Amino acid sequence: MTKERGGSIVFLAAGIYGLVFSIGLPLGKWNAPGPGVFPLSLSILLCAFGLVWFAQGSVKEGEKREKNLGGLIRKSGTPLRIVGVTAAFILLLEPLGYLLASVLYTFALFSMVSRYRFWVAAALAVAFGAGSWAFFTKVLSTPLPKGALWMF
Amino acid sequence: MDVLNNLGTGFQTALTFKNIYLCFIGCLWGTVVGILPGIGPLAGIALLIPATFGMDATGAIIMLAGIYYGAMYGGSTTSILMNIPGESASVVSCLEGYQMTRKGRGGAALFIAAWGSWIGGTLGIAGLMFLAPFLANEAVKFGPPEMFALLLIAFILMGSLGKGSFFRTVPMILLGLLIGTVGMDQLTGTMRFTHGIKELYDGIGFIPVAMGVFGIGEILSSTEESLVRQAHKIRFRELLPSREELRASWGPIFRGTGLGFLVGLLPGSAHVLASFLSYTLEKRLSKRPQEFGTGRIEGVAGPETANNAASESAMIPFLGLGIPTGPAPAVMMIALLIHGVRPGPLFISEQPQVFWGLVASMYVGNVILIILNLPLVGLFINLLRVPFRVLFPVILLVCLVGTYAVNSSVVELIILLVSGVLGYLFRKLDFDIAPFILAMIIGPTMEMTFRQSLMRSGGSFSIFWKSPISLVLLGLSGVLLLWNSYRALRPKRASWEKALEEEE
Repeated sequence: MTKERGGSIVFLAAGIYGLVFSIGLPLGKWNAPGPGVFPLSLSILLCAFGLVWFAQGSVKEGEKREKNLGGLIRKSGTPLRIVGVTAAFILLLEPLGYLLASVLYTFALFSMVSRYRFWVAAALAVAFGAGSWAFFTKVLSTPLPKGALWMF
Repeated sequence: MDVLNNLGTGFQTALTFKNIYLCFIGCLWGTVVGILPGIGPLAGIALLIPATFGMDATGAIIMLAGIYYGAMYGGSTTSILMNIPGESASVVSCLEGYQMTRKGRGGAALFIAAWGSWIGGTLGIAGLMFLAPFLANEAVKFGPPEMFALLLIAFILMGSLGKGSFFRTVPMILLGLLIGTVGMDQLTGTMRFTHGIKELYDGIGFIPVAMGVFGIGEILSSTEESLVRQAHKIRFRELLPSREELRASWGPIFRGTGLGFLVGLLPGSAHVLASFLSYTLEKRLSKRPQEFGTGRIEGVAGPETANNAASESAMIPFLGLGIPTGPAPAVMMIALLIHGVRPGPLFISEQPQVFWGLVASMYVGNVILIILNLPLVGLFINLLRVPFRVLFPVILLVCLVGTYAVNSSVVELIILLVSGVLGYLFRKLDFDIAPFILAMIIGPTMEMTFRQSLMRSGGSFSIFWKSPISLVLLGLSGVLLLWNSYRALRPKRASWEKALEEEE
């Protein structure tokens, strides 16, 4: 699959989603356009552009390999790990509180992505988790969730 | 004389101890986020928004603007020393700056970059203080049809100047506009695409989306490459450029100032385009263009000056018209709205102390930045010695906390992550992200003015060409559309277009 075709799928998906959920919105009249006019028009245009890019995106004979999306997907292992760990952090942030969640989060990143040894990753995670907590809450007065560790 | 009197009043505001301190903090933080790859001015500004809650609007905008233009100074350091642009506008500086470092002239490249940035920045502010009030006075005459026509031409310009072809950028703009429609319709109160999620009633937050596509997306892309990077060491005495290097830099610096100032007025990634255009111009004007790519000082001086001048002139449409020309001014606009100040045609007349205090603080900030980026550059280089595999989890934390801090909402963190994946995907697919973000923030105003125009005219589209201003703007939009269609069909590319494509 080419990059153009990959992009076309994103645009088509967004366009179809927009079409489905804006079709029920009132369109109003020309002298009082309703809330559905703008999203519906945008969705139709997005679908049209999606179709054009899909047609444009066929791999032509002799085309370079880097135009191919498959090669790029194979390089996505590390980004996917980061996305997974970050999703877990978001889910645990309010139940656990920032301090604990950030220590666990940075530990997961240092050990699973940066490939530090267990103790090094743990030391870095405690330093950065606690350090960032102190910086954000004490220096910048950022409101962060306290979670289970109520005293923090 | 009015301008000078107002500037004098502005200096009285900017030179209070509190505002000098805030300007210093903004410039310092801006330099740091500019140096660190993956954070950038956007995340830097968003992170400090909660810290401004206890400040007045003037102090807040002085600090946040300091981050914006400070990042332009700092961005060149990683480009020159590590071949990694700290900020997107510094991509061009990698071409010549890093080659100079390899030849042992990295210090001179840093000096010229900082010196050019100072000149470009200072002259850019002078342009800002004369042009913004004029533009605001004219914009007061704008009704909904004129504003709609202005936004339409802004979008077409975004498409024209974005990376890649016009028809590659347009769907990104459409996507941004569609996301901008999420939430309660401002005219009828109807909910759109909210699916009963309360946090979406006010629309999808701009900060999580912008931080996601720029911050998280950049980190995800960067971690595909090796996590080990090396920074070159620079001694203080190596910072001094030779007489020949200084002589060769003057022309590019002044040309870069003029070019950057003009390009900065355009919507889209203007500061990125300004640096590319300046590089292409210098290469074309050079007597030895074949030496470009081997470490020519002109290729650092021109682009670095141009992106700083562009970052100052980008404040003109943002403050005078209420139309942010880039993602970072858009975040600053949100910060001002939080403080009850709305940038736009009435901003300068209604809030003169904020506007002139900001202008004066930018002069002060440029002096602070030249000190931070020349004698103290060695201190900042130490930041680059921190391995990227240690740095990127910290950058991710900064993005997450910066987003959470604004509304204390987990839903916004989810939006941040989804946007990050989207930003990563668009990078992989070579689609320009800046127009998507700008469309998202300007879109609701565009829709509102379109509908208000039709309501005012009783459904007649003739309202759009009855006013001479909107007629001219719509005419220009039509010409630009035709020109872009011609560009898309013709096989030959202009040299600056080729440069942009090569960068992709």
